[in-house]
Amino acid sequence: MFDRQAQLLGVEVRQARSVRSTLSRLWQYYREYRWLVAVAFLLIVFSTGAQVVVPVLTGQAVDCYLAPVEGGGVSCLFGEATTTAERLTGLGKLIGLVVFLYVGGTVMTSVQFYLISVAGFRMLRNIRADVFAHTQRLSLGYFTEHETGDVMSRFTNDLDTLQQIISFGLVQVIQGILFLVMIVGAMFANHVPFAIISLVTLPLMFLATQWLSRQARRAFREARKEIGAVNADLQESIAAVREVQAFSREEENIEQFGAVNAANRDANVRAQAYSSALAPTLEALSYINIAIVAGVGGYVMLRDGILWGAPISLGLIVTFISFAQQFNRPVQQLALLWANLQSAIAGSERIFDLLDDTMMIEDKAEAEVMPPIQGDVVFQKVWAGYKPNEPVLKGIDLAVEKGEMVAIVGPTGAGKTTIINLLPRFWDVTDGQVLIDGIDVRDVTRDSLRQQIGLVLQDTFLFSDTIMNNIRYGRPAATDEEVVEAAKLARADQFITRLPQGYETVLGERGTGLSQGQRQLLAIARVALMDPRILILDEATSSVDTRTERQIQVALDKLLAGRTSFVIAHRLSTIRNADQLLVLKDGQIIEQGTHDSLLAEQGFYYDLYMNQFRRQEESEKDVVR
Amino acid sequence: MAVRAERGEGGDSQVEGGTLRRSLSYLTRYPRLTTTAVLGLLLATAAQLAVPQIIQNIIDVITNNMTVDQIDLAAADQALITAMVMIVVFAVARGIFAFIQTYTSQALSHNIAFELRNDIFSQIQRLSFSYHDQNQTGQLMVRATDDVERLRGFIGQGALQALQALILLVGTLSLLFFTNLKLTLYILPILPITMVVFGLFGVKAQPLFRGVQMKLSTANTILQENLAGIKVVKAFASEARERARFRQSIDDLLEQRLVVSRTLSFLFPTIFLVANMGQAAVLYFGGREIIGGTLTVGEWQKFSIYLVYLFFPMGQLGFIIGMMAQAGASAERIFEIMDAKNDVEDKPDAVELVDVKGNVVFEGVTFRYFVSGEAVLQNINFEAEAGQTIALLGTTGSGKTTIINLIPRFYDVSEGRVLIDGHDVRDVTLDSLRKRIGIVLQETTLFGGTIRDNIAFGRPEATMAEVEAAARAAAAHDFIVSFPDGYETAVGERGTTLSGGQKQRIAIARALLLNPQILILDDSTSSVDLNTEYEIQQALDTLMAGRTSFVIAQRISTVVNADLILVLDQGQIVAQGTHETLLENEPIYAEIYHSQLDDDMVAA
Repeated sequence: MFDRQAQLLGVEVRQARSVRSTLSRLWQYYREYRWLVAVAFLLIVFSTGAQVVVPVLTGQAVDCYLAPVEGGGVSCLFGEATTTAERLTGLGKLIGLVVFLYVGGTVMTSVQFYLISVAGFRMLRNIRADVFAHTQRLSLGYFTEHETGDVMSRFTNDLDTLQQIISFGLVQVIQGILFLVMIVGAMFANHVPFAIISLVTLPLMFLATQWLSRQARRAFREARKEIGAVNADLQESIAAVREVQAFSREEENIEQFGAVNAANRDANVRAQAYSSALAPTLEALSYINIAIVAGVGGYVMLRDGILWGAPISLGLIVTFISFAQQFNRPVQQLALLWANLQSAIAGSERIFDLLDDTMMIEDKAEAEVMPPIQGDVVFQKVWAGYKPNEPVLKGIDLAVEKGEMVAIVGPTGAGKTTIINLLPRFWDVTDGQVLIDGIDVRDVTRDSLRQQIGLVLQDTFLFSDTIMNNIRYGRPAATDEEVVEAAKLARADQFITRLPQGYETVLGERGTGLSQGQRQLLAIARVALMDPRILILDEATSSVDTRTERQIQVALDKLLAGRTSFVIAHRLSTIRNADQLLVLKDGQIIEQGTHDSLLAEQGFYYDLYMNQFRRQEESEKDVVR
Repeated sequence: MAVRAERGEGGDSQVEGGTLRRSLSYLTRYPRLTTTAVLGLLLATAAQLAVPQIIQNIIDVITNNMTVDQIDLAAADQALITAMVMIVVFAVARGIFAFIQTYTSQALSHNIAFELRNDIFSQIQRLSFSYHDQNQTGQLMVRATDDVERLRGFIGQGALQALQALILLVGTLSLLFFTNLKLTLYILPILPITMVVFGLFGVKAQPLFRGVQMKLSTANTILQENLAGIKVVKAFASEARERARFRQSIDDLLEQRLVVSRTLSFLFPTIFLVANMGQAAVLYFGGREIIGGTLTVGEWQKFSIYLVYLFFPMGQLGFIIGMMAQAGASAERIFEIMDAKNDVEDKPDAVELVDVKGNVVFEGVTFRYFVSGEAVLQNINFEAEAGQTIALLGTTGSGKTTIINLIPRFYDVSEGRVLIDGHDVRDVTLDSLRKRIGIVLQETTLFGGTIRDNIAFGRPEATMAEVEAAARAAAAHDFIVSFPDGYETAVGERGTTLSGGQKQRIAIARALLLNPQILILDDSTSSVDLNTEYEIQQALDTLMAGRTSFVIAQRISTVVNADLILVLDQGQIVAQGTHETLLENEPIYAEIYHSQLDDDMVAA
């Protein structure tokens, strides 16, 4: 309990800029279930009311049947009693009513609990679905700016805090407030002066809670920085443990970690000083409150039984003691929930931020389906960039005829990837046009466009599913035979059939279990199955052994034949065979032509080429010799 | 994961109890804090138990004087004031001791978490490669963070709260028995009922919660994959399908959550109802006794307060039992790390390796990852003389990496010997061995800190001049000084992002600074542009000069210039020699060589 409390107090409370707008957004989601919520709210009022009535009935039992005072002026619900038998039946009736209230309250709480969770969880599901649908619409630009982990954490952490508050947190807040209000109301209804005396510690409780929570929150914020350092250190040292050992750095690292770890411990222990004080303080205050109620009540009762003009009875004292005992619970709950509520609002803000992000590539209203692509591609004075005023491409002009292969070379950051991102419209031009078969890519639907463009990326991404389904990814309707056909074309069939489960082999996360080369062959098969007219290839040369690389090359050559292709080139063979070679630098095409014509120019390409292959030429001489 | 979950929840309570006991033994490392916490707990509970008794006294004072004609007002007032003062005293005592209990037990838990983390960290740092091959970073992270936190929660509050609950339960029950046996018997049947409901709760709720966890993790896996592979999703225009898939998973999750809600919305209020029925029973039967004259209103009130004390710890115990199961699973995972046997350790009589020349010999080396596993290397024999360059050639999985991992003793051979200057690597200290071996891996990890720190990673005491010299030789100096902060530029996760080529050059500088006699290179430049590749190649040539170098070769030039080429296939050396002899005598080498030539060489 205390730990949970510490956690809650520790939540970063971000000062919400527009709490109201966030709340109204949340209300939009609540709206659909407003009747459920309204019924639940009504039930809360009744069940809380029942809780408050019981101490009053106990007081009645005392005054009317257990320790009746003649002429006490107490009006009894089930009539006054004089004989023992009457007292017994009266007591029985009262307790019967108490049992009825308990049972009724329980039933109402059950129903209320269920209704609220139905509304809360459904609402949460709706938000999740909306956020997911939205991420699917966002352009790739969004994902270059935001890391996967960041987007993930909105789904997990932020939605989790929201969930806590949406369903039960909110109920507890309402219940807590209602409970306090009803107790105070019941006290005043019974005896105004006594109520005032009984409530003297309540402001103290609020003040103590507020002060301690604030101190704890501040201390926990410090502590959280330390745990961040601990986690960063852990993550780094575990992930790179091989290098640590290779350089014999174990002891230094252990010592360093010990220091960070100790700082974290100390910060947390400091923070605990405040959060550990909260519950005991409130408890002590509530006992003191009981002492006041019992003492003052007793003092008056020993005399004329009149406190500032109104009579006090033993039953009233019993009732008030019972109330005083129950004060501290809702106060404490409210303090925790308040912190939780604030962090939930901050969380929902981050969720709505994502929902409001308009970095999207949308179909035009009048967008048509892209007719079967022939493969002519034209870039007309294309400018593009991911951030305003920072163009990556600066006026690209390019004409590619169908079936041609275009190789793009250039230093990192020159804009190679941006060029190929424009074709399937992962990104839109800021100026100029990209035309396929004379049609601006922005005038057709994205789906019809992308289904006709194949993409083989450097880092092959596979889903944790069967090999069959992974190849089928772009064309879910393809038959098993077609999949095998495509795998054969991609030269992947051989290694797949050698696996114990063949095509039904389930791949681990991101295709673990397969070598880099095998994964690339699967990616090629996946594209081959789509049979696209335009192919985009981010050539990967790394971490594949020579023989596999050769297989990949053969597979790619087959795939490329007869299709328009754009290749970010690393391999010499690709560069040499390309119909057009683009040398890109700082977002501009600085050289353009064939391998031979560019070599003849003796420009940038010539230098690049010579640098890299001088050594090969040298070794070639060795061979000749 | 599945295996882990099974084991975690599994019924092997003996193991669970054992690991929990073992984690509780950490308490003995802090005897003073532990004693203080327990003492605080005892005193706080005693103070708590005293309050209802005083309330009874007050009410009794009132009722006694209500029935008496002649009131001794002074005596009654005196009794009242004494009682009030006592409540205040006990309230303050309760507050202070409860604070001491909470604070010390939390401090205790943070100290134990500190110890656990330190122990895990040092163990992880020292465990050999074979351990890390089988355990992923993410899993180890979870143990060092979530599992430690869960165990901390249990030690910090669970264990002590359980003790507190037990004391409160036993204390209250005996007080009740002591004061009014008859009334106690009336409410006694409620205790087993409560326990049954809690038991039911445990049996029903645990699997339901686990179901929610599973559905949630399914949804998160889909999400994670989708986000990581968003480009593929978009390229294949499958957004709609992904949306449906995710929707299905969160609908399943919702369904499961509602099942849980249905159960809980029945169980939770029922528990309270049982407790409340106890109160009603006390009110009624106690009331009857009051009417009969055998009970006072004060005692009746006291009884009703004690009853709260009775149910509260039972609720707590139910909660702690659930916590215990989880903490036990966490403790087991933590101790699994701590108990992992390190298979590569210094012998007791290990000597320092000094004045290394760089002669490396493999003598009949066979290697298996597992004792009964398939041999990854089989009877490897070769000798590298000091200063030679050895190129390793072969397909993925042929054993190239394994060979180079045996030289710095990242693994131990299963059979045979690896000798450096005639010393078996198992006879020398790991530290002195590894300090003489420089390694440049294909994937370069930079650590948090400055560029300087990273270059000096293997020799933190190196001077700035030495660092700079190493950086120059690695062709890294120019780009480093082009940063505003130069060598003091922060890198790593929270620092400047360096390109792959830049990282690789820093790794080369790092190895150069060690001035090793033996060098191990994974000679592939991934995803760098052609210019950078050329620069890296030159830096590598500088690095290799005059040292015994083992190179996993990707480039023809490296192979051609090597003093010894090892051609590996399925864990065996199928051919070895120089380029010329191999080209002449070994068709397999000629084939590999030509296939690569076709791709990479300029046509003559």
